[in-house]
Amino acid sequence: MSAATLIARDELRLLRRNRVAVIAVALLVLLTLTAVATSWAHRRGIEALRERQQHGAEAAFEAQPDRHPHRVVHYGTFVFRPLGPLAAFDPGVDAFTGNSMFLEGHRQNSANFGDVRQSSLLVRFGQLTPAFVLQVVAPLLLIFLGYGALARERERGTLGLLMLQGVSRGSLVRGKFLALGAVATIAGLPAMLGFVAVAGQPGAPALPMAVIAAGYLAYLAVWVVVVLLVSALVRRSRDALLALVAIWAVTAVLLPRVAPDVAGAAVPLRNRFQTDVAVARDLRRMGDSHNPDDPHYAKFKRDVLARYGVARVEDLPVNFKGVQSVESERLSSELFDRYSGESYRDQERQIALVGAAGVVSPTVAIRSLSMAAAGTDFAGHRRFLDQAERYRYALVQRLNRMQADDVSYADDTAVDAGADRRKRVSATNWQAMPDFAFAAPTGAVLARAALPGLGIVMGWLAVVVLLLTLATRRLGETR
Amino acid sequence: MTLLAHELRLLLRQRLTVAALALLSALTVASLGAGLAEVARQRAAIAAIPAAQAEDIGAVAGFVDATKDAGSAAYYSFHPTWDAPAPLAFAALGMRDVSPYIMRVRALGLEAQVWDGDTFNPELALPGRFDFAFVLVFLAPLFTIALFHDLHSGEREAGRERTLNALPGSSALWRRRTGLRLLLLWAALALPFVIAAAVEGVAVGTILLVVLLIAAYLLFWTEQAALVSRLRWSSVANAATLAAAWLVLVLVIPTLANVGINAALPVNQGAEIAMAQREAVNRAWDVPREDTMRRFYAHHPEWADSAPLGPAFHYKWYLAFHQNGDESVADRVRAYRGGLEARDAAGRALGWVLPSVGVQGLLTRLARTDLQAQLAYQDRIRAFHQRLRTFYYGYLFRDRPFAKADFARAPRFGDRPDG
Repeated sequence: MSAATLIARDELRLLRRNRVAVIAVALLVLLTLTAVATSWAHRRGIEALRERQQHGAEAAFEAQPDRHPHRVVHYGTFVFRPLGPLAAFDPGVDAFTGNSMFLEGHRQNSANFGDVRQSSLLVRFGQLTPAFVLQVVAPLLLIFLGYGALARERERGTLGLLMLQGVSRGSLVRGKFLALGAVATIAGLPAMLGFVAVAGQPGAPALPMAVIAAGYLAYLAVWVVVVLLVSALVRRSRDALLALVAIWAVTAVLLPRVAPDVAGAAVPLRNRFQTDVAVARDLRRMGDSHNPDDPHYAKFKRDVLARYGVARVEDLPVNFKGVQSVESERLSSELFDRYSGESYRDQERQIALVGAAGVVSPTVAIRSLSMAAAGTDFAGHRRFLDQAERYRYALVQRLNRMQADDVSYADDTAVDAGADRRKRVSATNWQAMPDFAFAAPTGAVLARAALPGLGIVMGWLAVVVLLLTLATRRLGETR
Repeated sequence: MTLLAHELRLLLRQRLTVAALALLSALTVASLGAGLAEVARQRAAIAAIPAAQAEDIGAVAGFVDATKDAGSAAYYSFHPTWDAPAPLAFAALGMRDVSPYIMRVRALGLEAQVWDGDTFNPELALPGRFDFAFVLVFLAPLFTIALFHDLHSGEREAGRERTLNALPGSSALWRRRTGLRLLLLWAALALPFVIAAAVEGVAVGTILLVVLLIAAYLLFWTEQAALVSRLRWSSVANAATLAAAWLVLVLVIPTLANVGINAALPVNQGAEIAMAQREAVNRAWDVPREDTMRRFYAHHPEWADSAPLGPAFHYKWYLAFHQNGDESVADRVRAYRGGLEARDAAGRALGWVLPSVGVQGLLTRLARTDLQAQLAYQDRIRAFHQRLRTFYYGYLFRDRPFAKADFARAPRFGDRPDG
């Protein structure tokens, strides 16, 4: 048995005898299990609720009576963002984004009814999830159990004794690392057990799960090494503890809040009011459908008439009102896409700024890794928004074309008593409309999105290991 | 006084103490700066409303004037509402980053509008804001722990405790030391806050209350330190125990309670309101229009003497079924709101036993950035929306033309205290 293993055994025996340490580990395991259970139940509940609501929305859409297609454009439909299986581990921004969206013509609505506006003030204290426990709580436990690992030996003079007995500095530090690493494994295991339960779910992607597991392993290893590093460098164990708690408070609590604030101030977002006004302004410039002499729509009308070789809209084989609706929806959607694209780009710039803060806080890095791999980050929300918008556009244009093809211009402009009946198309059309189906990202896409975060965490590990190696060489030297 | 000055000299000789106090002051100043900047940004956004609104409504007025149709005016005119930050908002931004503080409404169905959100980056909102409330609730206890964990044990470990306790007036000594540390911590938080609050024009009573709240919260953590110190453990054990207590009281219990509250008080999802309202509104196209009008007049007899509908489309019917739609979901809205309030009340109730939650709750209440403030803003939007309806109905149901000059007669948000 090597010296390092012996040292590790000894350290673990000491921890086992320390009642406070045992209680702390037990509490952490309990907390993680609670987090796993509640997150699991929460995700299942949400998933079932959204699925039910999605089916309800689809059923309502299909149950519409005979209607004028343009009525259906305004009736619209609701879509709900499904929650991926890994959200049980890290729900990410799910509670902070609206999860239902009303899709209709001429408008791009916001996703509404996020949990953050439906919960008590406690939601801003953080969410009890396995990811939170591993990111924030577990490092503090490692600090409590490990701050004295080397400082204690020096403080009590046992360090010199060990060296006299021929224990090399390297094997001493390796032994302590093994012991603390074992604690970290015990701390991380319950969360990983929850992971295994997730893996049993249909559609659980293996690749991102591997990235998450590797990321958290490296993250906890970073903390183990940092604890040993500070314990090796600081003279008294009390100072080691205070320094470590300070490091933890700054990197795990303070920076994750400061970085977003800085990013938000550096890249301001255009608010909805200004966006709506700007969209309306640009729409007027492109073509004002309220103005009978508008050059864009006048030209559009001439082109349509020329295409069909007729002189009057009444002679067109299609309903001109429907054709015009297709055109105006095309124009407005182009604008929506441009403005929302700008907003998304700005938000991605903000997130990139926060990501850069991962260089000073491994917690920021593991957080983005974790959310990205779980598909619960902003990019995941955006996937939903983009797909919802594509679906909205396709649905509205289908209905507009239906108006052009299936409702005659004469009926559409008539105001007599029976006109309302003649304008309507059969209800069977609504059942023929395709339902919204969210295309979940593949495991490879999620894993790739998590790579930058993983890179930063690995970089952290390399740097702190290097520092610990350097500190080990000078361990026990009198200063 | 000289004794106190002596203690101060002793205290300031410790590098750790000086560093901690300097860091706490710096963090306080930074958080106040961040809060002030955010509030200034929100005020600027509100100040930018009139120019954009004038341009937007001017264009609507331009094309509506051709027909003088009050219905088109009602349909196309969006009216801005806003919720200006209260003077204290900079200290506790609360929900103002995730709830809209500017919202445009038009005289159509309100339930399809009032739940909309503004643009915000969810990944930025997720960790919470770096504001004064955060520094006080989350960070100040850690500094208290740093300064108090070795108050007794430090002297004991230096072998001086027995001597000190044997001195006459030793309890006064400990009181002095405790008081001094508390005062310095309090000053690091309160002095920058008072300056910022004075600049923002916060009422003196409110400033006083917050300043007392800071003292009370620090006192709570000092008490924790005193309790732990009674166990006569080493400084290291004290620090570890107190940090663990911090973890449990500030992070773990609130998050656990959040899960508990949301499970115990289910809220019927808001999306169901939106869906039910849409169903009610759109059904109007498939039922006899007279039924819609009858129902509307039954609730609003003041318009019942309006001329009967002709065969052509009339906006009064359109607006009437929008209002009917709102009224048909009024019960759901009440229930939903009741659910939100029940959850909020449960969170606040926890504040009575958990100081971290209590301080956060009280600060956001004083700063008008909590759920109650959001709901109050919603009430003002509702009141304003009612005025909009009455205004447009006055033209539509009386068949009065709506000319360019009438746009300027529309109600404006904020010219009445209730919206």
